[in-house]
Amino acid sequence: MQRNRHRRFSFSVWRLPRLAGVIVVASSLLLLASDNRPDRIPSYVSWTPETIAAASAGDAFRGMLLARHCDHCHGAEGFSAVASTPNLVRMDKLAIWKQLEDFRAHKRTSRVMEPISESLSPRDVADVVAYYSKLPVFTDPQDNRSFPQSRPDPAHAGIASRLISFGDGERGIPPCQTCHGPVAYRPGVPSLATQNADYVLNQLEAFASRARANDINEPMRTIAALLTEDERHALAEYYGAGLGLQPGSSK
Amino acid sequence: MNWQKVRTLLITVLLLCLIPATRYYQIDVPLLRFLKGSRQVDPLALHLSGEFVENNLGTEQGPDGSVTVRMIAQQYLFIPHCILVPAGVPVHLRITSADAVHSLTFNGTDYAVKVLPGTISDAQLEFPHPGEYQMPCREFCGAGHYAMRSELKVVPREQFPVLRPEERGNCAAQ
Ligand code: HEC
Ligand code: HEC
Repeated sequence: MQRNRHRRFSFSVWRLPRLAGVIVVASSLLLLASDNRPDRIPSYVSWTPETIAAASAGDAFRGMLLARHCDHCHGAEGFSAVASTPNLVRMDKLAIWKQLEDFRAHKRTSRVMEPISESLSPRDVADVVAYYSKLPVFTDPQDNRSFPQSRPDPAHAGIASRLISFGDGERGIPPCQTCHGPVAYRPGVPSLATQNADYVLNQLEAFASRARANDINEPMRTIAALLTEDERHALAEYYGAGLGLQPGSSK
Repeated sequence: MNWQKVRTLLITVLLLCLIPATRYYQIDVPLLRFLKGSRQVDPLALHLSGEFVENNLGTEQGPDGSVTVRMIAQQYLFIPHCILVPAGVPVHLRITSADAVHSLTFNGTDYAVKVLPGTISDAQLEFPHPGEYQMPCREFCGAGHYAMRSELKVVPREQFPVLRPEERGNCAAQ
């Protein structure tokens, strides 16, 4: 009798690990079933004080030496010869840093820039960023630069300046200058004041088609998709002609 | 009834009074926070993990047909820019801000949802009439505030697409 009870007791203890195993397997299956939708992450960058400090800690002199590898395409003075390659001159340091991090993490695709940014160490990135963000705009060009391009026709200029300074409240398009300057800047937003027309147009089209999808919380994908084809051309021409810094008029 | 019993009863009543008191004086009770689920989010990391990653935004349909809408407010956009919901169905809205204080309002209704960075705002809404409503921001949030508005499309219930659990509805999907 005693022995029997003892056996029954030990039998139930032996069942416990098996029971636990069943629970673990069942719950992990449930978790798997509920988690079959992987998160889409646009960029691993988050503008915490630590990130901003890391992106700002570069050595501009070392950056100047490293930037000799970039001259070939981005120009010795930060102005590129080909209008579809971006000018890096006077670009905000956080904006360059974010783009290089996104290329390195393959969050922004570019056949050219992904391998180049992978060859840079995190320290190299911070140094190059420090150099380009301090590079002055030389008025006596040594570069074979394509900036500024010809002025847009008055109709296009009017469309662009209205969008840049006022946006379109009816469609919910905020004014470009409230994020891209000069009215206000936000972390990681590049100034477009010295950017090439072709490059701006390419990026607006890439955002609209979501071929470029590395903007945090989708501001540019949303805005570019709301713009018409004609407005994208007008905006690109306006910025490409170097008019982006002028206070816009309602004309 | 003896004195012991009265004392026990009094202490019990006093202790029970503590529960509404914690609510009234807004005392933080970790256990309650745990039971209700935390409403804290990191406004700088919404895109990295959790409820507000970009492919979780928009309209979600539960297995019982209930509708949940998740949005992010940021200077000067509501994301997603166009929301699609069925008419006459309770809509559970969950929204948080990535930067400043915003206020999501629905023209033609008297709903207004205050949106703060760092916490999730919850609201139960219902739109009986199909149609298109503008959703402007009504809390001054910066230079582009007056252009901050998105759109709400309310469609008759039978026109609302049946969404799979991992699918999120928006105007483009219609
Ligand atoms: C072979 C030509 C080439 C070289 C060399 C090159 N780049 Fe680029 N870079 C490009 C092109 C083309 C783009 C535009 C990519 C696109 O269209 O998405 C670009 C884009 C960029 C951008 C994004 C700019 C923006 O406005 O978003 C940054 C930052 C950049 N390059 C930095 C560098 C740095 C730093 C180096 C040197 C270490 C470098 N590049 C070398 C061709 C080059
Ligand atoms: C809500 C803020 C906001 C507004 C308004 C805004 N942008 Fe942007 N824009 C951004 C951000 C943020 C980025 C950087 C995306 C990233 O992190 O990769 C960007 C990037 C861009 C780029 C790519 C630049 C580059 O060097 O790669 C272009 C072009 C651009 N915006 C054009 C515009 C135009 C034109 C408008 C006005 C119609 C506009 N933006 C309005 C936030 C904004």
